[in-house]
Amino acid sequence: MTLIPTSEVDAAYIIRTAASGGKKLAPCGGSTRAGFGNSTEPAEKMSSRGLSGIVDYEPAEMVMTVKAGTPLLEVEAALAANRQMMSFEPMDHRGIMGTTGEPTIGGVFAGNISGPRRFVGGAARDSLLGIRFVNGKGELIRAGGRVMKNVTGLDLVKLLAGSHGTLGFLTEVTFRVLPMPQTVETVVISGLDDAEAARAMAAAMALPVEVSGAAHLPASVKGRFIGGGLPEGEATVLRLEGLSASVAVRADKLADAMAAFGPVSRIAMDESQALWREIRDVHPYADGTRKPLWRVSVAPSVGHQLVAALRLEAGIDAFYDWQGGLVWMRMEADPEAELLRRYIKALGGGHATLMRAPDAVQASTPAFEPQPDAVALLSVRVKQALDPAGIFSPGKMGGNF
Amino acid sequence: MSETIQFLPPRQAVLSRRTAIIADLADLLPPDCLVHEPRELVPFETDAFVAYRRVPLAVVLPRTTAEVAAVMKYCHRYGVPVVPRGAGTSLSGGAIPQEDAVVLGLSKMSRILEVDYANRTATVQAGVTNLSISETVGADGFFYAPDPSSQLACTIGGNIGMNSGGAHCLKYGVTTNNLLGVKMVLVDGTVIELGGKHLDAAGYDLLGLVCGSEGQLGIVTEATVRLIAKPEGARPVLFGFDTSEEAGSCVADVIGSGIIPVAIEFMDKPAIEICEAFAHAGYPLDVGALLIVEVEGSEAEMDAMLKEIVEIAGRHGVKTVRESQSAMEAALIWKGRKSAFGATGRIADYICMDGTVPLGKLSYVLKKTSEITDSFGLRVANVFHAGDGNMHPLILFNANDPEDAAKAEAAGNEILKLCVDAGGCLTGEHGVGIEKRDLMRHQYSEADLAQQMAVRAAFDEGWILNPSKVFPLEGRPTT
Amino acid sequence: MQTSFTAEQLLDPHVAESEKILRRCVHCGFCTATCPTYVTLGNELDSPRGRIYLIKDMLENGRPADAEVVTHIDRCLSCLACTTTCPSGVDYMHLVDHARVHIEKTYRRPLADRLIRNLLAAVLPYPARFRAALGLAKLGRPFAPLLKRVPALKPLGAMLELAPKSAAKASAGPATHPPQAERRGRVAILTGCAQPVLDPRINEATIRLLTRLGIEVVAPSGEGCCGALVHHMGREEQALDHARHNVDVWLREVERGGLDAIIITASGCGTTIKDYGHMLRLDPAYAEKAAKVSTLAKDITEYLSTLDLPRLEPQGLTVAYHSACSMQHGQKITMQPKNLLKAAGFGVRDPAEGHLCCGSAGTYNILQSEISEQLKARKVKNIEATKADVIATGNIGCITQISTGTAMPILHTVELLDWAYGGPKPGKLKDR
Repeated sequence: MTLIPTSEVDAAYIIRTAASGGKKLAPCGGSTRAGFGNSTEPAEKMSSRGLSGIVDYEPAEMVMTVKAGTPLLEVEAALAANRQMMSFEPMDHRGIMGTTGEPTIGGVFAGNISGPRRFVGGAARDSLLGIRFVNGKGELIRAGGRVMKNVTGLDLVKLLAGSHGTLGFLTEVTFRVLPMPQTVETVVISGLDDAEAARAMAAAMALPVEVSGAAHLPASVKGRFIGGGLPEGEATVLRLEGLSASVAVRADKLADAMAAFGPVSRIAMDESQALWREIRDVHPYADGTRKPLWRVSVAPSVGHQLVAALRLEAGIDAFYDWQGGLVWMRMEADPEAELLRRYIKALGGGHATLMRAPDAVQASTPAFEPQPDAVALLSVRVKQALDPAGIFSPGKMGGNF
Repeated sequence: MSETIQFLPPRQAVLSRRTAIIADLADLLPPDCLVHEPRELVPFETDAFVAYRRVPLAVVLPRTTAEVAAVMKYCHRYGVPVVPRGAGTSLSGGAIPQEDAVVLGLSKMSRILEVDYANRTATVQAGVTNLSISETVGADGFFYAPDPSSQLACTIGGNIGMNSGGAHCLKYGVTTNNLLGVKMVLVDGTVIELGGKHLDAAGYDLLGLVCGSEGQLGIVTEATVRLIAKPEGARPVLFGFDTSEEAGSCVADVIGSGIIPVAIEFMDKPAIEICEAFAHAGYPLDVGALLIVEVEGSEAEMDAMLKEIVEIAGRHGVKTVRESQSAMEAALIWKGRKSAFGATGRIADYICMDGTVPLGKLSYVLKKTSEITDSFGLRVANVFHAGDGNMHPLILFNANDPEDAAKAEAAGNEILKLCVDAGGCLTGEHGVGIEKRDLMRHQYSEADLAQQMAVRAAFDEGWILNPSKVFPLEGRPTT
Repeated sequence: MQTSFTAEQLLDPHVAESEKILRRCVHCGFCTATCPTYVTLGNELDSPRGRIYLIKDMLENGRPADAEVVTHIDRCLSCLACTTTCPSGVDYMHLVDHARVHIEKTYRRPLADRLIRNLLAAVLPYPARFRAALGLAKLGRPFAPLLKRVPALKPLGAMLELAPKSAAKASAGPATHPPQAERRGRVAILTGCAQPVLDPRINEATIRLLTRLGIEVVAPSGEGCCGALVHHMGREEQALDHARHNVDVWLREVERGGLDAIIITASGCGTTIKDYGHMLRLDPAYAEKAAKVSTLAKDITEYLSTLDLPRLEPQGLTVAYHSACSMQHGQKITMQPKNLLKAAGFGVRDPAEGHLCCGSAGTYNILQSEISEQLKARKVKNIEATKADVIATGNIGCITQISTGTAMPILHTVELLDWAYGGPKPGKLKDR
């Protein structure tokens, strides 16, 4: 059974009761990431679905306040009606996770879910201005606010973003939105290997053309994007957005510079939007399988080195977003967690998150990157500060938190 | 001096061991890294918020993370409070010490360690000044985006402590949005690293928590920050209006239209006069309010944006529009704006407020602000980041007149409460420090504050890191 | 900034002036960033804001100077980069001048320090003594490394190392140099004290250039040191005596034939002479006269900029222009020297960190040789990075300092201008 509070007071009551009764709770939204994370002690699901609706939306101020359980769809529709958007492009996990249901705005922020624009425009946490949540003692806490610049007190907003419901139960979020770009265009460089692509993307990012998406789609995945409509060869794709006149000028400039790396072509607005949505949602690995899927974040210049090194020792398939710094990696069989994490460390650090795997494998593989002792200890203490009785999904993100 | 803000009473156990503590610190550091002669300690008694002052017990100026760790380990062991200090440019008293505290200055850690263009990052020691990063990478076509007005002098360590903003944050975000990683010394001397050249946290976003924590969670000794390719061009344009109200409503309309300039800065008449006298930037002196709007990109892009902005400004009765004609003119326009606070020193002492309000409330809050200062018989100059509603009323007073100083402080408190009541917050980028500490209850409930303090205590159970700051002295968890 | 002086303290005009200066400071800290000693040492006590605070504390409490305060004030180069940076308009120069006088009056320096300072004050301002001393220095040079190892004798070692390997021949004495073209004006030239001994070619080039341009140049008899050297050591009376003496000499010259300007070719001297009006403001007999002299004082590049020199074809030589602190911060002369060089056909490059002092700063490279060495190395690195052919600057102190750190030729701006406008090619460029 899932607990579905319909008010903050309700939520606080449920949590207080659980805390005093030694019961564990698993906060969730629409459960579209069901099965993700480390297995926890048995816990009762507590969904924010019952807290739904837009509380306040001032398009002229580019700020929206929404109850946490509001479906993402509803938020996006309201924004689109005003030609606005969430700049961090939250991905939809249903494809890769094989889940159904409706993603909620609370789930997006609880998971700090961001898409291709993240590497230049910031993550979900960077747009999040304020939250209301119930902590593990059943107290309603407000953090942040509704203005863009706010350094009043400790930034609990950032802390809660990406904590996957282990620190508190989100009831309301306030975030910054941006105008939708007038147009979108994608410059494609074809036929580059992973290393060449990394160099090309770095060169593109050094140009004053404001690239807002940089992905490399190797041969193994390329065919699965936009219905096989990308040109011959591996595809290194660079997105430009903004005023039409300006995008046209920038695209020329970018295409000229990229011609030094390989044949260049362009994709217009509609297809571009489809392409980047598919990159965002990791379309090639929305494959109906449970093959282990990693989301790896490293320095952009080393993403391809990591893949090359692993390829020698394991069966993997991968593609790159964020200029090469976000590697989506599907393993043929074993997740090879230790190997992967050893290489990440050797290449300067980063982290790997196991998004899915067969149940047995998942149970024995830490989903989140294990932290050095001192940092893990801090995480435990932070968890205790917010959830002293340890009732929110204990162990979901690792160790005791 | 009238002191309405209290410091924590000094720990007698620390004061009574003063000689021993200094001798012990002398064992940990080379002689030129320790200041302890009473007269030499006086210049460290305050920062850029000069209304409050306390001479510290000692000042340490370590050169390495290891030295910082040694000092922290020692101070943790003996319960000696530690007040971190970057360049001492805090406008909220973030670096003001207390009698029983060791000031830990990062000014000797001022090297840029690595610039990595492939990953667009710079790794620097905490004492590096904000501007020197952009100066170092500028010739190669990059810059570091957050640009607090004190960027010439303020340090990255201090920026992280306060989560500093600046004029260009409208487009590029504040420090927390541009910070990728830190090396930091915890209260007990443990050295940890958070983040790096990769994005996002592996677990909890402790980096996001540390940024803006005002030196209460640990001492940041190194930072990795994001570099951005410089735009092809940038053009600040001056828009003069008869009234502040017109300028304020123009800002809201520009933002509402879907155009996001890189910066929209506001100055009222007193501020224009002050800044023009210092910078000779060519600000119009016959207007009641001025907006500096900066657009960037290619020539075509800037022209297109400006055309729209000029049109909107026209609807709000803009009186003069002047585009900068050269890089030198543009530099002067920004020099005037960024020197505004200091330049105010030419005519009076001042305290600088930092509340943020929703854009729709700008005009209202501006009007109320002058009503408040009028009611105290004080003058005010307004110069601030209008695009994100971050206001900086400068309340002018005479520091040698205790009554005037008390009035200024009281007026400031009322203005900040006004900002909170208008749906905003106490501080947009300067930090709570000691200045706004006792107003925290106006913005947060007891439970909100207790939660923040519990998280803070998770890092520093004994409350030795910058202990008199941010949180009201009553209601702290006791240890 | 708040101050606390008693009404009685404020009766002293020097204290009153310092109080006014202190009140302007808002303690914003911008000055720290451009202070050469702060960026080198990383200690706020060695920054303008730290020194201002130390001075404030000392004056407010009416205390004699102590060893700590003296250490940090002594380390100040008086480069005045802070004054250029300061948005509040804090007159640091006159504050630190006051502090130096206060130190000189209330603090007894250690014996070795006293001796070296007495030596410098007795020798440098007097060309004949200085020339003789340089002869001795030649003999002493081999002992320099040894001396530098003994802390108290370090300044002596530094001094020997700075002394030029060969003393220049004596320069021409007082004279009137008639214009070589249609007469356009009449100026006096400050002969100076140390400069003619170290490098007489600078004033020779100035006189050649000016007379070719139709200017009568007088080197008045009786002219002495401007007083800057002792002024910066806090020796107020000696400095004021120098000032009064020169005021008399120049005003006599004004009466004799009128003067359009008093031309100064060492910007360090220029800063001080332009301050005569302030220095002598409390002397009823001299206040007005000194103010007049100050308005007549012009750096050679300032004066040349008024003469509309013809624009010449580019001739392929690139110049790294080093702006002396006394030029850019003390006198706020920034564009004229570069514009003159450009107009004369030279390519001009600005070294990075141009606001930072080279470490020369009067007698600083002798009294604070360690910091001075670090600043010199930093300056030379920045200058050499420009890959220019030659360095130009407007101050003899910088020329002496920088030339000991690089193989690049370094000239006074006026030497290049004289050459471009028909004078002989400077000797240092002969093989280029």
